[in-house]
Amino acid sequence: MRKHALITAALLLPTAAAFSAGYQLNLQGLRQLAMGGGGTAMPWDASTIFYNPGGLARLTSLQAYASVQFIMPRVEYLNQTTGQTARTTNATFTPFNIYVGGTLKGADRLGFGVGVYTPFGSGTTWDDNWTGRYVTQSIYLQSIFIQPTLSYRISDGVSIGAGIIFATGHTDITRAMPVQNSQGLDGHAELKGKASGMGYNIGISLKASEQLHFGITYRSRVDMRVKDGDVTFSNMPAAIAGNFPNTSFDATLPLPEVLSVGAAWKPLSRFTIQLDFNLVGWKAYDSLAFNYADEVNGSKRTSSPRLYQNRIAARLGGHYQATDALAIMLGAAYDPTPVRDGFVSPDLPDANRIILSAGLSYKLAKSLNLLAAVEYVSSEKRQATYDEAAFGGTYQTKAITPGIGLTYDF
Amino acid sequence: MNSYRPLLLAAGAALALGACRPNLTPAPYSKANLDFTRYVAVGNSLTSGYADNSLYRSGQMVAYPSMLSWSFSRMGPSDYKAPLLPGESGWPSPKLILGTSTDMMGNVSLGPVSYPNQLDTTGSSINIAAQGPYNNLGVPGIRAIDFLNPFYGLLNPYATRFFSSPNPLKELDRINPSFFTMWLGNNDVLGYATSGGVGKSSGGSPFSLADREAISSTDYFADGVDSALKHLMADSNAHGAIINIPDVTSIPFFNTVPYNGLVLSRQGQVDSLNFAYHTTGIKFTLGANPFVIEDNTVPVIHRRLAQEGELILLTVPQDSLRYAGWGSIKPIPDRYVLDAGEIQAVHQATSIFNGILHSRAEAHGLAYVDINAFLKSLAPGILYHGVNFTTEFVRGGLFSLDGVHLTPRGYAMVANEILRTINYYYGASLQMVDVNAYDGVRFP
Repeated sequence: MRKHALITAALLLPTAAAFSAGYQLNLQGLRQLAMGGGGTAMPWDASTIFYNPGGLARLTSLQAYASVQFIMPRVEYLNQTTGQTARTTNATFTPFNIYVGGTLKGADRLGFGVGVYTPFGSGTTWDDNWTGRYVTQSIYLQSIFIQPTLSYRISDGVSIGAGIIFATGHTDITRAMPVQNSQGLDGHAELKGKASGMGYNIGISLKASEQLHFGITYRSRVDMRVKDGDVTFSNMPAAIAGNFPNTSFDATLPLPEVLSVGAAWKPLSRFTIQLDFNLVGWKAYDSLAFNYADEVNGSKRTSSPRLYQNRIAARLGGHYQATDALAIMLGAAYDPTPVRDGFVSPDLPDANRIILSAGLSYKLAKSLNLLAAVEYVSSEKRQATYDEAAFGGTYQTKAITPGIGLTYDF
Repeated sequence: MNSYRPLLLAAGAALALGACRPNLTPAPYSKANLDFTRYVAVGNSLTSGYADNSLYRSGQMVAYPSMLSWSFSRMGPSDYKAPLLPGESGWPSPKLILGTSTDMMGNVSLGPVSYPNQLDTTGSSINIAAQGPYNNLGVPGIRAIDFLNPFYGLLNPYATRFFSSPNPLKELDRINPSFFTMWLGNNDVLGYATSGGVGKSSGGSPFSLADREAISSTDYFADGVDSALKHLMADSNAHGAIINIPDVTSIPFFNTVPYNGLVLSRQGQVDSLNFAYHTTGIKFTLGANPFVIEDNTVPVIHRRLAQEGELILLTVPQDSLRYAGWGSIKPIPDRYVLDAGEIQAVHQATSIFNGILHSRAEAHGLAYVDINAFLKSLAPGILYHGVNFTTEFVRGGLFSLDGVHLTPRGYAMVANEILRTINYYYGASLQMVDVNAYDGVRFP
């Protein structure tokens, strides 16, 4: 008998449906987080470097901004046929934002600054013996974007801005291999690598009147390229380990382009309502391919279709300046899934999401502001399949994300 | 700000009440009007949990009736006891495991080898009828027609060790089942097939030892099935499922060694074989050639080339093929080959026997599990939760190392198909098993 290649190549290697709605965190500013995630129209603070670079020249001073969020996602899986349920292990991820930017006295038409933020930074880990272990065991993704930004106020009503994005990150994906050793233990594969990419973020901020503000931004697609990531196999039976050499891989994970339009209205001097729409170009996520330096089970490449769809998310928020020191925010959003039925993988069991949020800002001292926000995300219960692996079930995701931050005006 | 406080408090309370954790619960399952309090599984090796060419304890524990009984017990009390062997090494002969073996020329290859560790069979032949009654009455080797032989229990060591009397029908009476599964009839065909069709191709009698390699008589088969059903349905409220006979010629035992596995890589080999056969009309070429097989209907030389569709058995000695000229200079003996006529006999008998099983299921109002069609549907491969199963030997993951019986994952697939049929037929919704929770083939 020959040594057989055991598994079809398409099933062999970890694929990642990962950089999807659930992993796009939308946590780049606490005020905006507290208002359902929108902030295109109104330059609230230095975080406008992310939300609308065009708003930076409208800030009245130079500001330093730092925040951290504690995201605690929970995913549950149910298989009605077998009655099995599975839950991801509890974990807390801490995406952060640092912005320094604004205008200087005497040159207040020019805004400048830099933002360091984490648009993707979460993960999912399932039980070692769960029924989907050959599809995914765990996935973790993190990215840090560094964005130097310039902005110019053309007139009282119109300012524009642009920033270049330097992206870096890493990914770590594990899954069980459907081969058992003499103790009955599954083989195990891990793909781990650093990624980098570039992009840009441009925007226009419009102040039609003291009451009415508009904004349009476009954040480009960022192709995160993994070069020379490590592929590591463990627990593989000796008789076939030769087919599964530890090697390196390359892959490209496209982070989608986003076109946002927003409006903010101040019916009262202390009260602002804002509404944002994000058109997210998930269509870029057509397929995901991994290329290996050495043949793994007879193949140097795996590719799997994703066929994501473009989606529009809607975000509504309110901001009430209760006293000179205290402001209160509330918000809600609807974020529809880009993932079609038949492509819903348990590494990211995406579904339409409903978001509720609240927060406050409190002036601690003359130039020092405390920000706090909490966001609650709940997905619909989604019954769907991942046809590539003949895996299906009902999923639900919930996440609660508190965040805290400080701003200091120079 | 006062007007907002209640809102914030309400939001906070909602979060505190655990809204941040999803909670999915399955819709209720149902057993319809079925009563699983007294479940009995009747059958042969497949029912006993036999695998890897032997019976051993961990295999018995994942026999498909044990999986069914797990599902039944989710719906209320359902007893299940199997006549477990004490050990893991396989009884009476050691099981096969996947290992590396060295052939007579020193070539090392991966394949099934005999269990290499210390045997743990002590106590296996002690009769354990007193610990019964048993819900799993699977007896490796038993045929449907053997239920007509009141002394069968004396002939089969697997029966001897847990039967309370030699008569297999009496065994069916020990638990008066409220629900049963019956998977009988495989061996009424299989004995003929796995001995290369050297036995009678019809009319096998339960009372002749020589007929163990024959295809059973159709009349005896019907009588055997009817007798077993009569005893299983002593309780007029009993329900159950009849599982039919898979086409044995589709299992790896018959499909792993190809009919044209004689690979000639040098012209010298071709020339010398052509010279040796030059008077016969048999010709060889470079590359893959059909094996030369024994056929006593061919005058004088008693051999011919195998034809596409004819099956070489997994048990054909590989050393003899490689080094002793079997399949080329010497024909492969008839007992290792199912020729076209023999395959025809197997198909015909399978179809007749399944017709009988189907008619009995209809007559008695029992679920009829077409496992024959199900296993055929697996042949091109089936994807389950990220694992690609096929009916291929070793790497397919469904068949154990004997090429006839299933792996635990294969048995789980069968259990789910039985549950699916029961659900459909009786309007129930029973829970199925997670195939990936069980073992496939273990590699060294």
